[in-house]
Amino acid sequence: MSHWMFNCKEVSQRVSESMDRTLPFHHRMMIKIHLMMCKYCARFKQQLLILRDACRLENLHGEECDHTLTLPQALRDRIKQSLSEPIAEHNHSS
Amino acid sequence: MSAKQSGTPKQLDDPQIWVDQYGDSLYRFALARVKDASVAEDLVQETFLAALGALKNFKGRSTTRTWLIAILKHKIVDYIRKKIREQDTDKLESMSDGIDVNFTDRGAWKLRPSKWARNPMKLYEQKEFMDVLYHCLAELPDRQAEAFMLREIDGLSTEEVCKELNISATNSWVMLYRARMLLRGCLQNNWLDAEH
Repeated sequence: MSHWMFNCKEVSQRVSESMDRTLPFHHRMMIKIHLMMCKYCARFKQQLLILRDACRLENLHGEECDHTLTLPQALRDRIKQSLSEPIAEHNHSS
Repeated sequence: MSAKQSGTPKQLDDPQIWVDQYGDSLYRFALARVKDASVAEDLVQETFLAALGALKNFKGRSTTRTWLIAILKHKIVDYIRKKIREQDTDKLESMSDGIDVNFTDRGAWKLRPSKWARNPMKLYEQKEFMDVLYHCLAELPDRQAEAFMLREIDGLSTEEVCKELNISATNSWVMLYRARMLLRGCLQNNWLDAEH
């Protein structure tokens, strides 16, 4: 490929980077042109976006399993007990 | 301020309330991922204690539940990572081998991304997808996994990720790129039916 065009490795880097910041205009154009010509990079980009969406979807559905399951009472009491101890220490020290 | 956010400070005043309010929810979440009741119980307990320790850093941008679940997710990955390390140390090293195996010297794909024949956005597919994702995350180098989780699972901005990990913006882009590349490859190998 010519030096003014990105190769697949560079496109994959910049596609990822574009998910974290806005790329310069000319980079966006070069990526766009590359993606029109390269099905593997286009697929790569689509899969990164699916990965992002699936992770965020989990925040809505992640706990969906048997809703009759509850935290055992003994553990519940134990956690409450341990939560109260550091608070007392913290309040004492402040 | 939203109703949810406005309700947060009161809940935060008394961490004891967390256990009654979010204990079951966290327990179910943990159990869905680790499939072992006693491990799930331990993780919930660790989560509450970690949350108490991190209380002063909680800025109330999300609900208390979302915040606690985010802590739990990190605990789950830590647990799986520890388990994998006990079982197979070679695997971790192979995951950190790098990105270059994917490309030729001239930067063309050597290991081409396969078409994903399954859709993780469908709920019934998503559970299994997330199971594999958590395992893949646990196999990543620690810092990369952390960067990915903060950015994609916790939904922090890149600036916040940098601050959290004490790294430069450029570093964060590189780290996230490597994490995404490795995860995509791991998912393709372990979950998604390949179709070339």
